[in-house]
Amino acid sequence: MSFINPLSDEGKRIVMEDGGNLDRIYDENSQLIDIVYSISAQETSDDAFIPKNYSDLVIKRVEWFIEKKSDPDYKHKKYAYLFHREITKMDTIAFYILCQAIGVKFGPNSRESRAVVELQGQIIENRLEELLISERTEITQKILNNLIVQDKIKWTQLADLVSSKKISLQELVLKDGNVILDREEFMEHFGEIIKKTNRPPEKMYDVFIGNRIKELIIIKMIMQNTENYIKSVHERVKIIEPNPILLKIADKVSEVLSKEMRYYGGVSGGGTVKASPLNVDLFPPCIKSALEGIKSGGRNEVIVLFLTPFLSYARLNPSVFRSNATLKVSDVDPDLKITKNEILPMIYDAADRCSPPLFDDQPQEKININAKLGFGMHDDLNPQHEGETTWYTPMSCEKVKLQMPALCRPDETCKSIGNPLSYYTRKIWQNKSNK
Amino acid sequence: MFNPATLEERRIYYREEWDIKQVPDFIVNSVENREFGFDHFGRGPNDRYKVFNTPEYLKRFMKSKTPFAAYCSVAFYEKPRKRDGWIKSELVFDVDAKDIPIRTCNCENVCEICLREAKEIISSIIDTLKGDLGLNNIHLVYSGRGYHIRVLDEDVMEMDSDVRSHILKYVVGADLPKDKYDDSDGIYNLEHFSIPFGYPKVFTERVKYAINHLTQDSKLDDVNAKLLKDVLTNRNLLDRDEWGLFKTKIGPLRYKKVVKAITSLNMGLVDAKVSIDLKRILRLPSSLHSKVSMRCMEVKNIDAFDPFKEAVPKFVWERK
Repeated sequence: MSFINPLSDEGKRIVMEDGGNLDRIYDENSQLIDIVYSISAQETSDDAFIPKNYSDLVIKRVEWFIEKKSDPDYKHKKYAYLFHREITKMDTIAFYILCQAIGVKFGPNSRESRAVVELQGQIIENRLEELLISERTEITQKILNNLIVQDKIKWTQLADLVSSKKISLQELVLKDGNVILDREEFMEHFGEIIKKTNRPPEKMYDVFIGNRIKELIIIKMIMQNTENYIKSVHERVKIIEPNPILLKIADKVSEVLSKEMRYYGGVSGGGTVKASPLNVDLFPPCIKSALEGIKSGGRNEVIVLFLTPFLSYARLNPSVFRSNATLKVSDVDPDLKITKNEILPMIYDAADRCSPPLFDDQPQEKININAKLGFGMHDDLNPQHEGETTWYTPMSCEKVKLQMPALCRPDETCKSIGNPLSYYTRKIWQNKSNK
Repeated sequence: MFNPATLEERRIYYREEWDIKQVPDFIVNSVENREFGFDHFGRGPNDRYKVFNTPEYLKRFMKSKTPFAAYCSVAFYEKPRKRDGWIKSELVFDVDAKDIPIRTCNCENVCEICLREAKEIISSIIDTLKGDLGLNNIHLVYSGRGYHIRVLDEDVMEMDSDVRSHILKYVVGADLPKDKYDDSDGIYNLEHFSIPFGYPKVFTERVKYAINHLTQDSKLDDVNAKLLKDVLTNRNLLDRDEWGLFKTKIGPLRYKKVVKAITSLNMGLVDAKVSIDLKRILRLPSSLHSKVSMRCMEVKNIDAFDPFKEAVPKFVWERK
């Protein structure tokens, strides 16, 4: 059970029995070494492939994730032991060390945390794939029963997973608020109407639900529980001093991740981009359209909530989503010259191109623009007021689609990004690489 | 009808016709946890952060101030006067008849036709909220120019904006269902209209509604006049659910274009900002929509409800 769900009672018992002595994590673990060597599918030609202790196992887990994701020459044989149940005990302990290290050092909202959560999802998926079908069905059902106590699962119980986009409502088969997972229940609700379409209902069940949805739910629930665990560790750090060994492990994990950050960053695209004059040609279609002014409703939202954060971040802190640091406008533009001479004029021009021009009937929106740059509700940009409000980060594509659907006319690049700012940084990066 | 109410008419309405008993229980029972907002001059609700500890205080306020418009929050707060201590929010869907992206009428503001179409959209959303999502504590409010669905099921009231946006997209059919499915035997291509359950079924119903309400003047992304004409010519096939034939007549690639365009058009059926905003204020049921001289009111029986009979204040009938 804990080979798939280390957060299960069995997993917790393993950790308790081990005693949780972190001082031993660099000690050579002969049991682990013996097991790895005994796995016939394991490549043993190079000593470096073999984890010697818990620390190694933690790092190997991360390496596996990164290499599988980004290395075209990924060799599964190097990591075969990760998919053999013999290592369950050691693997479970490594999981807890990894989560605790990330929790104490980086917290739940960090890039490192997201990587570990994704890693865990990937490892479960791959471990399930290695099982025989009958075994896979049995284990999936057992873990599901363990994760969800009631007879029926209401979709509202999966709200956290929906919120964090780990699962979508559309993927679930819903009836009266319940997620249909059971074959008999599926037949009872839909058997007759499916027959009318001349398709076999049994087949439809296998295609739409089968093990797939059950596995998806357990994988996503375990990912969510992993995230929650990292969060709980992070909260404990406020009252208990973190163990320096965990901090050291966290640094090492971060180092492994940053080696491949360019790949890992994947969807946000591009490397770190520094503050530089704006290149309108590289803007995404939604921003180009907003700059032309809004001819119908929604002027305030487009100018104040959408364009202001985008232009200010694109000009001053384009890599905001890549770095964990929170900056103020004055950290990048101390005398606010760039903001006043480059950013505000662009925003004001777009506002003037609206129909009717935004400030003609709503001059107070200038104050709102200052507020969205972090300078409070004041007429001018005064450094003394900075911090009274938050410098709004650019809204995601998801929000643009929802709040201003008329602006969203995606092109090819849009397909692989989640925020208009990432579009811009990716284009800058590509532009630079081409030169 | 639909002319703005004068100051005198507002006074007549609140002093002679309006009664605190017309405010629905779901608001009265939580009056002390809600923020109230008022528009006194027809320039938007700028008198906000109002709190009434009992319905009696609300009654006195309404009778004496006779506001241009009255609103109350969908959110419940511990300290509504400061909009602080957010507890939970109703889940809201706002369908404004004048903003529906596919209206078969050509009216400037609202008319019987687009109000009826708003009601059809609202009915289908409520069906999905009940049948698929299992929500039951649903209240329907005629807003004066459209409808508000207000959901008070405890499970959803604590949900964040992200979940609300997923629910919204599910109920309006704003996501393209996938068409490739697999099991241990292989990969299958299944069109949304061949799957009679779950989200594909909801989506199919929404696409059918949209196609049936298109006119020659409808604007759909990436759909040219010729394609629109072909859709209109063949849409009678959908009355018999002959989707396969309809797709063949249109052509598979062009069919994809149409469905994709409808997916984004469906997003405009409901004002998404209202659904995802956890601190929104909404028109107070029982209050007067002074811009159009109609009553905002709770609707108990959607099928029987006729706004032109039930939501028209007496003073409108007495106008010369």
